[in-house]
Amino acid sequence: MAEKKVATKKDTEPKIGVYVCHCGSNIAGTVDVPQVVEFAKGLPAVAIAREYKFMCSDPGQSMIKDDIKQLGLNRVVVASCSPLLHEPTFRHAIQEAGLNPYLFEMANIREHCSWTTEDHGEATEKAKALVSAAVKRIYLHQPLEVREVPVNPNTLIVGGGIAGIQAALEIADAGHKVYLVEKDPSIGGHMIQFDKTFPTLDCSACILTPKMTSAGSHPNIELMTYSEVEEIAGFIGSFKAKIRKKAKFVDESKCNGCGVCIEKCPWKADSEFDLGLSQRKAIYTPFPQAVPNIPVIDKESCAYFLKGKCRACEKFCEREAIDFEQQDKIVEIDVGNIIITTGYDPFDPTPIIKYGYGKFPNVVTGLEFERICNSVGPTGGKIVLKDGSEPKSIAIIHCVGSRDENYHKYCSRVCCMYALKYSHLIKEKTKADVYQMYIDMRCFGKGYEEFYQRLSDEGVTFIRGKPAEVTDRAISEEEKGKLIVVGEDSLLGTVIRVPVDMVILCIALEARADAKNVAQLFSISQGADAFFIERHPKLDPVATMTDGVFIAGCCQGPKDIPDTVAQASAAAARVLALISKGKVELEATVAVIDEEKCSGCRICNLLCPYNAIDFIEEEEVSRINDALCKGCGTCVAACPSAAITHKHFTTEEIMAEIEGVLV
Amino acid sequence: MEIATPMKETTDIILEKGGNPLELCYQCGLCTGVCPWNRLTSFTLRKLIHKSQLGVVDFEDEELWRCVGCNACVDRCPRDVEIPHIMRALRRVIIEVGAGIVPHSLRISEKNISAVGNPLGEPPEKRMDWAKDLGVKTFTKGTEILYFPCCYQTYDPPAQKTALATIDILKKAAVDFGIPDNNVVCCGESIRKAGAESLFQRLAKTNIDIFAELGVKKILVTSPHCYHTFKDEYPELGANYEVIHLSQYLADLIKDGRIKLTKELNKKVTYHDSCCLGRYQGIYDEHREILNSIPGLDFVEMPEMREYSLCCGGCAGRLWMESKKGERLSELRLEQVLEVGANTLAISCPYCMANFNDGVISMDKAGVLEVKDISELVAEAL
Amino acid sequence: MNFEPKIVGFCCNWCSYRGADLAGTARMKCSPNVRIIRVMCSGRVEPTFVVKAFELGADGVLVLGCHAGDCHYSEGNYKTMRRMPLLKKMLAQMGIEEERVRLDWVSASEGDRFVSIVDDMTAKVRALGPFKNNSKEAKHG
Ligand SMILES: Cc1cc2nc3c(=O)[nH]c(=O)nc-3n(C[C@H](O)[C@H](O)[C@H](O)COP(=O)(O)OP(=O)(O)OC[C@H]3O[C@@H](n4cnc5c(N)ncnc54)[C@H](O)[C@@H]3O)c2cc1C
Ligand code: SF4
Ligand code: SF4
Ligand code: SF4
Ligand code: SF4
Ligand code: FES
Repeated sequence: MAEKKVATKKDTEPKIGVYVCHCGSNIAGTVDVPQVVEFAKGLPAVAIAREYKFMCSDPGQSMIKDDIKQLGLNRVVVASCSPLLHEPTFRHAIQEAGLNPYLFEMANIREHCSWTTEDHGEATEKAKALVSAAVKRIYLHQPLEVREVPVNPNTLIVGGGIAGIQAALEIADAGHKVYLVEKDPSIGGHMIQFDKTFPTLDCSACILTPKMTSAGSHPNIELMTYSEVEEIAGFIGSFKAKIRKKAKFVDESKCNGCGVCIEKCPWKADSEFDLGLSQRKAIYTPFPQAVPNIPVIDKESCAYFLKGKCRACEKFCEREAIDFEQQDKIVEIDVGNIIITTGYDPFDPTPIIKYGYGKFPNVVTGLEFERICNSVGPTGGKIVLKDGSEPKSIAIIHCVGSRDENYHKYCSRVCCMYALKYSHLIKEKTKADVYQMYIDMRCFGKGYEEFYQRLSDEGVTFIRGKPAEVTDRAISEEEKGKLIVVGEDSLLGTVIRVPVDMVILCIALEARADAKNVAQLFSISQGADAFFIERHPKLDPVATMTDGVFIAGCCQGPKDIPDTVAQASAAAARVLALISKGKVELEATVAVIDEEKCSGCRICNLLCPYNAIDFIEEEEVSRINDALCKGCGTCVAACPSAAITHKHFTTEEIMAEIEGVLV
Repeated sequence: MEIATPMKETTDIILEKGGNPLELCYQCGLCTGVCPWNRLTSFTLRKLIHKSQLGVVDFEDEELWRCVGCNACVDRCPRDVEIPHIMRALRRVIIEVGAGIVPHSLRISEKNISAVGNPLGEPPEKRMDWAKDLGVKTFTKGTEILYFPCCYQTYDPPAQKTALATIDILKKAAVDFGIPDNNVVCCGESIRKAGAESLFQRLAKTNIDIFAELGVKKILVTSPHCYHTFKDEYPELGANYEVIHLSQYLADLIKDGRIKLTKELNKKVTYHDSCCLGRYQGIYDEHREILNSIPGLDFVEMPEMREYSLCCGGCAGRLWMESKKGERLSELRLEQVLEVGANTLAISCPYCMANFNDGVISMDKAGVLEVKDISELVAEAL
Repeated sequence: MNFEPKIVGFCCNWCSYRGADLAGTARMKCSPNVRIIRVMCSGRVEPTFVVKAFELGADGVLVLGCHAGDCHYSEGNYKTMRRMPLLKKMLAQMGIEEERVRLDWVSASEGDRFVSIVDDMTAKVRALGPFKNNSKEAKHG
């Protein structure tokens, strides 16, 4: 019957080949394959139906290719496993035989049928229904064009922590231009605040500053510090970004970083970099090794801006670099790819009232302790109490804000390790006793368990249990004047009280307070914990659902420096691959609006999660930017005028499939 | 060495009795450190939970009766484990499966409630005798508010003062209210926490039927326990009321100017947050507002207040059990009261009242400190 | 023979379809009554698909998407959720019992959940009996 049709209507008429796979006994053991083949033969437009042991094998694929060539098939249905597994395989095969890859359909008779159904009869019936649906559907398939767009070789990297620096250097070293945007006056991120880094205990500045300097001086890297991205338009290959360069009130082209202005400035404010543990001037660089080494004037604390008088810095600057008239500048750049490396915020433990942060001056956070240990920090690297004396005992409380339903459910992954690092630093610099108060020690990384073991050898006391409170209410003579950490030692099974001089809270890493804005700006998603979501948690860890936008480092979730750097390199590699390919293919299964039918109601405009639909005011119709459309089909379902077609998932195709499964 | 073998069957029984929160516990031990009992005893809460996880609980152990359900641990637990539910489940295993011994004093209260509908063993037909001469109407269809005093406030003279003060205030504010007849019974909140689930079900059903018959919609209570159970537990059985605790109502009456506090009370007062109004319901501000609007009254806070209040030790049936000298939370709390120099301890719960009154006597502080329900203070200031 | 309902299932490509695949990979057994049609997102499911399915002889329709917050396209499933009450109203007008249509969420890792939803739905629709489509009978009769 089908043959006759083909004879009269030539090539335009569908000529379908159906291939039913045995998958060894995986399918054939339950489904009566010959019966399904017979059934398929009777379906309209089916020119041939065959069975084979393993359709995905080379002979299986050749069988299809040969039939296409010899019988002139123009559509292929394979009934086998899940399309998520082998759709690409078969699409590729028919493409090799000269067919458009979208003229292919798969019927999932393994996962959805033979493997889940006990009764052979029922399984066979279901397989027939699924084959019939695929055949009915493919009858309507149209060839679709895979479109290509060129890739602009420039890259935008947002956030100048170790992740951003690493990615920037990799891409720049490969010969491509990078714009590195950092909101603070210097790059470096959290890592530059640390003294040493676990597990190797290298000095943080010693390993990071060389990278910062080369990022600062690299001919292919344009550093934009004190800047933020304001707007993003476009799509993979050709994004346009608007960047606000905040006024530094110092002319970067004139300033040579001598620092005289800083020295002479009489006004002070709390140092953000030292977390308020020290003060900086109104004109400042956050820390001595800042890159770029150009100061900025903070309007909020500058006497001239506040009171109209002073200008001491201007007087002393020999290069006449101070410019009180400077304004914010908006810079527009074109890039092909974007890497987001905006990092994390430290958790504020104030809400955990019982730990006394903010109440007892010698209860400090981990990050504050990093500064206290740092030789260029507020105490010159001396581990001392607020009164300047050396502590005789220190308690380190783990999991503050992590693994806790009341704050963050997740494990912050670095706290156990930095807690161990502190033990070492304390032991190195003081004679203090150290108590580690942990729930579980998580030392999973390379060299981490060894580090744990090494620390145990340095005379640290480990107490298992989450402390209930830090109090100054002494109940004995020896507790007087101390901070007493109270909680259960769960290994002893008794409550213990540990009097100490200082308490370090191992605070969680949390998503940045402005993560939501960043996510919206770049059309990427956030998880329940507010960190950005990768395309696939295992197999696609640095891509996002927005093509051309990658994520790396702690903005994706808490992690240590080795993992951050690995992700940053991975993101750079992904970008470099796109640059060297020079062009990108865009998914063909997008939605299109029939402007004749569009009533201009704009319902679809707001529904699209990717803002892919624009309203063309002049023509009073909506139009889909097919480079932005991801093909979810939400707009299609909502259009009251049925003006939108979802390619490869057209209403007719789905209706045909419904009819098919209901045989 | 004693060797333990996990007993899955026992764990299953505990789970079946509602102990399922125990599955979430990751044994951090925070709760042991938070639980007020650690200040007086060696109650190792985390360990008890672990024993329940393994099914190796010693059901004869009196530790199983420690927890007063004060919720201090639940507020802080990093896994949101509803610990009092586990404790209730363990007690249900004892009572319903007969796995251990119910403390004698608790058994008596349970018997009383079961037989006569109140823990004191008083005759039910005398439940409303306290109001005989007050000219208060009995609630009938159409009355706006049902005032439901708890068993203690109906039978026990010191607690009765709360009910009397309440009537006084409601009358002055011209509120349309009625009191129940003698047929109502104990709300059942505490005995449920003590593990007597089926008894609770029976009590609740009795009250729910009576309330339904009378068309009760709005209930005013002077016990936080009645409050919690009417508001949060009776709905499990399909009932739904608007429940108000007197302290909330008083704060409104004062704000709206329906009662005027004119008389000066020259007392130094501190307030003890009960667990059932505080951590369970988050009602903290009202009491402060009320006390601060009484003229002449000098209000001081204790360091452990609001979310961090220390339980009086009377919830979950503990009131009915004997606590040894030196193992009484109420006495620990009274020391704190004395530390801030108060001469009056304001409370808003009949159990707190009973426990603290006992404490004042056993600590020999009768001349120094008095315990008063917040309603009494307000009535005095009218 | 006992009545075996025919149920059309719409699964989104990213969570529920994968959940259904996982049920298979894990060799979990479930009633064969639900036949799955893959859409990219549950947001693609138009009310007319559901109506059409009943017209063509379905006894029930199951729409499965990702859990709230997990939709691959951010919020397609919320759109589906919002469309549901409307659809139910439409169906009520057509005399289709509410239990014949179900919207639920299955993640890619919830093969077991997929199975229990399918079994539960099948049992419920089986209990309701075949859907008698008046218009169809009129046409064919
Ligand atoms: C107390 C503590 C101690 C630690 N110790 C160690 C250790 O010893 N070893 C180790 O391996 N790991 C350690 N870590 C983890 C380490 O900090 C992280 O792995 C690392 O800093 C992550 O780097 P990042 O670049 O992803 O993020 P970040 O360091 O947070 O850098 C992000 C950068 O982006 C910038 N930025 C943010 N938002 C924007 C925006 N919208 N526009 C422009 N710029 C933006 C920020 O200003 C910042 O410069 C520790 C963490 C803590 C909290
Ligand atoms: S104007 Fe004065 S206060 Fe302001 S930065 Fe210059 S020196 Fe400092
Ligand atoms: S199909 Fe989805 S992504 Fe594409 S335009 Fe419509 S709503 Fe946007
Ligand atoms: S605080 Fe919660 S998680 Fe920790 S031991 Fe107690 S019940 Fe378990
Ligand atoms: S509810 Fe209160 S008494 Fe019971 S275990 Fe928790 S903290 Fe202890
Ligand atoms: S992709 Fe699964 S519901 Fe949207």
